[in-house]
Amino acid sequence: MAAAATAIRPMQLAALTRSRCSILQTAYNPTSARTGAKYLHARLCGPSMVKFYTPEANIAQIMRQWPELEMRNFAEEERLQDVEDKKKRGKGAPKKAKEKGNSCRASRRR
Amino acid sequence: MPNARVLRDIKARNVVKASEVLRRAYLYVARNETLSPQVRHQAQLQLNTFGKYTRPTTVKNRCAESGRGRGIISEFALCRYQFRLKALKLELPGVRKASW
Repeated sequence: MAAAATAIRPMQLAALTRSRCSILQTAYNPTSARTGAKYLHARLCGPSMVKFYTPEANIAQIMRQWPELEMRNFAEEERLQDVEDKKKRGKGAPKKAKEKGNSCRASRRR
Repeated sequence: MPNARVLRDIKARNVVKASEVLRRAYLYVARNETLSPQVRHQAQLQLNTFGKYTRPTTVKNRCAESGRGRGIISEFALCRYQFRLKALKLELPGVRKASW
């Protein structure tokens, strides 16, 4: 082939790339400018992250969701009973301080 | 009751999932060199207002039993020691001592 006839001009190449992109429906970016498209392209990683820990069975949750099952939370009942016993013995939780200076901890330090 | 660090990690994962799309949108605007610098800067400022738990880098695989951050086997969400304990008690399905 004659060299002059086959010398391809850059404008022809650009036109070729543009038409190829329009046919194949890809993005036309001849200058390789950073468009931030990669942040939109990338797969979302949130759903797979949330699946890492298996959800634990929560008796309180089940009791709330299905009250008709009439389940009893023995651990919670025992805890409440312990709190009542402590109160009877006089070992219940101390009163909450209304002001910053009144708290037991502050007076102990002094 | 799982470890406190594990609870924090679960919280981070949920927040990341909830804010991911919005974050990506702002990132796209902030990193797009074809837009004007003012628009890009505004988007970047908006991104800066997002809390720390919206960033996927705060998420770290932790052992569901002990809360350990290192030596995690992702398939079981356990650290190597907890994995060993459970595997020897045959609590992990399909896991047995290797010998070949």
